[in-house]
Amino acid sequence: MRKFFLGLLAGYFLLMAFLVYWQLITELDEHPLNPGRYRIFREPRGAILDRNGQALAETIIDADGTRRVYASPGISHITGYFHARYGMSGLEKAWHERLAVGQNVQTTIDLNLQRRVEELLEGRVGAVVVLEPTTGQVLALASYPYIDANALDDKWPEYLEDQRSPFVNRVVQGQYPPGSAIKPLVLVSALQNRTVDLDERWADQGVVELSGRTITNFQRQALGEITTKEALALSSNTVFAQLAAQLGPALLQTLRRLGLGSTPDFSLPASGGNLPDGELSAYGWGQIGIGQGSLLATPLQMASAIAVIANGGRLMRPYLVEQIRGGWRLPKMQRPLVISEAVSQWSAAGVRDAMVMAVQSGTAKSAQVPGVLTAGKTGTAQTANGRDHSWFVGFAPAEEPAAVVVVLLEHAGTASQTAAPLGGLVLREALVAQGVLGGM
Amino acid sequence: MRRPIWLWVELAGWLGLALIWLAVQGGKAELWWQLLLIWTGFALLAFLSTRLGLRSECLLPAALLVGIGWIFLLRIKPEYAAQQFRGYLAGLAAFCIGIWGGWAQSRVKYVFGLGALLLLAATLVFGTRVGGAKAWLDLGIIRFQPVEFARVLLVLFIVRYLVENRTLLNTKHGWAAVKYWGPLIVFVSGVFLLLAVQRDLGPALLLYVVFCLLSVAVVFSWRFLAASLGAAAAGFGAAFYVFPHLRSRLTAWLYPWEHAEGAGYQVLQGLFAMNRGKVFGRGIGVGLGEIIPEVHTDFVFALIGEELGFLGAVAVLSTYLILAYCGLQLSQKAASPLEQYTALGIVLLWSVQVLLVAGGVLRVLPVTGMTLPFVSYGSSSLVAQMWMLGILVSIRQVRAE
Repeated sequence: MRKFFLGLLAGYFLLMAFLVYWQLITELDEHPLNPGRYRIFREPRGAILDRNGQALAETIIDADGTRRVYASPGISHITGYFHARYGMSGLEKAWHERLAVGQNVQTTIDLNLQRRVEELLEGRVGAVVVLEPTTGQVLALASYPYIDANALDDKWPEYLEDQRSPFVNRVVQGQYPPGSAIKPLVLVSALQNRTVDLDERWADQGVVELSGRTITNFQRQALGEITTKEALALSSNTVFAQLAAQLGPALLQTLRRLGLGSTPDFSLPASGGNLPDGELSAYGWGQIGIGQGSLLATPLQMASAIAVIANGGRLMRPYLVEQIRGGWRLPKMQRPLVISEAVSQWSAAGVRDAMVMAVQSGTAKSAQVPGVLTAGKTGTAQTANGRDHSWFVGFAPAEEPAAVVVVLLEHAGTASQTAAPLGGLVLREALVAQGVLGGM
Repeated sequence: MRRPIWLWVELAGWLGLALIWLAVQGGKAELWWQLLLIWTGFALLAFLSTRLGLRSECLLPAALLVGIGWIFLLRIKPEYAAQQFRGYLAGLAAFCIGIWGGWAQSRVKYVFGLGALLLLAATLVFGTRVGGAKAWLDLGIIRFQPVEFARVLLVLFIVRYLVENRTLLNTKHGWAAVKYWGPLIVFVSGVFLLLAVQRDLGPALLLYVVFCLLSVAVVFSWRFLAASLGAAAAGFGAAFYVFPHLRSRLTAWLYPWEHAEGAGYQVLQGLFAMNRGKVFGRGIGVGLGEIIPEVHTDFVFALIGEELGFLGAVAVLSTYLILAYCGLQLSQKAASPLEQYTALGIVLLWSVQVLLVAGGVLRVLPVTGMTLPFVSYGSSSLVAQMWMLGILVSIRQVRAE
């Protein structure tokens, strides 16, 4: 019996040696998969708030225990998630050190608007972003599909297998050919470089030949004798291909000044899209002029560039996090930041007028907001596989813009029937939220 | 006169546990009387055993283990604690059956062996599937896991067979030895086969180790040792190809960091929990270990390690060691060889299981998917442990003190 007891003793000592190793010697506190790493501090975790102080994400402690509660299912594209098993992402991750000590992160989001925008986008793969042009503040940001941070326990495996990539925030990380939505930016470049006049007349035959290859209008439709302004309103490919071919590298310079082709300094990890480099043929430039070729942009980049038109030529830095405060650490503020006077006020005003015309009588008619003068532009971008992507870029009221809206719907087809009506609805909601329009 | 001292120590231990329980507090407090009744129940069992002229020291560590287990189940989920308490009430009856049933003294052996086989076969045929494994037997009024009881019956059978035939097993060689080992091997491999069909490899490993140790204790033979090791290697090889979950458990054991989000998740989260505990632990209720899969059964030791720290984990392991020591004391002074080895078999069943389970949590061994005796959630398991405790206490001593 003594032998057996000694044997068991040896077994238990071996276990205790391993206990010493794993509990006292090894240091696993900083391992990324260790949930303890995210809860080093004892205070309840700070909240993520909207611009009016409503909680987007907050920690609730009650009889059922401690839970992190998110305000809407799609909000995780902004707040990210914070979960004992799955770790953290988004603002929860970016501001973890402040949140962990109980400080609140106040964002520029308007929760009521955000909820409406999520409802409007629900079910359609794509992205919507609403900016305040004068400040660069993001008022709403929705991307579908999303992962519901309140339901990770049940749905995580489902999310991992979803072929539509619900983890990707399409507003900041989705890179798409802008299609005709680039035309306001091409026009502003042409006006800036004085290669065209807004009332200059063009003969649109539905087809144009550039360095031996042809670029055609939508359905090869010949628009006849039109002004530059009408060319934008009716989305003439032939006119804009020619404009871009005339501009050449000068167009690239303008696009770069508007923030395309470079990764924005944003509160969430963002992509930079793509601008062509080097020399292109006339046809190559023409392709850029109609938003095809190697040109890629994220919805956020488009919103930020369109905000320049709305804002009289001034490029604002888009931002989402306004201030961090509460707790024992010093507050941190983010103020509106002017990146540059990207284009002249006159050029911007000209493009604005053309965009107003597009909504009044052009291809973006379905984006009209009753009672408000609206500026907008649709874009139907060809893709390598499947149906076209639909864009809408716009802002309202045209005279004193309070909101810039960019809508992108993946593989949704013709923009005037898909993205533009949605853009109009979002604009209306944004104007209500901004106090320009009365409530419903 | 050691007995009064033991009782005082027991009382002190329980006061300590009650204090720990107070730390749990909040919302779960209405179940406090269950802890009181667990204590009273063990006190009554100790009183009863003493009146029967039996030694009851091993009730102390068992009571401490049931108490600490109940407190942790209350901390994980109050429903678990309530269910465990119901299991404990059934366990009181099982203890009485163990102490009065004459299990350790009975000379029948094939009844036990057949009982084990039948229980497992019945599970295979009539079993109900609960949470993946078809390991439950539903008798209408009660539902239980027969394997918990079958393995005790098998150990009783092994001990009886070995003790009865030990001279023959020691002296015969060649074909004669095969003849005498034969029936034992047939029963044991029958149980292994049934367990394998049910994909319940943890108990199979446990029974294999206990079987080998008992054989070595009763009839030491190098040939037998070599043969059983060879059979184990062959069995492991076959199981490795037949059971994918065995492969994934080995992967989780050897390469958890590479499979941190998949197969290795449970092992790694267990280690993280242990590691967060440090020396003194984070305190009951404030650990993060509740996210470990199966934290209330297989991985309760990880949560104890996190919330009570190194000292708490060592205390729990020491309690098992004290239990084994008490059991071996009973074995050493047992009135007959049969009782001596029955006690040893029970002690080995407990100890090897603890070593396998805690070793699985600490990555000494692969995870075997068994409960921590007395502590883990599981009514069948607790009832079977109480039954074994009753059998152990019923071992008559050479000289009653």
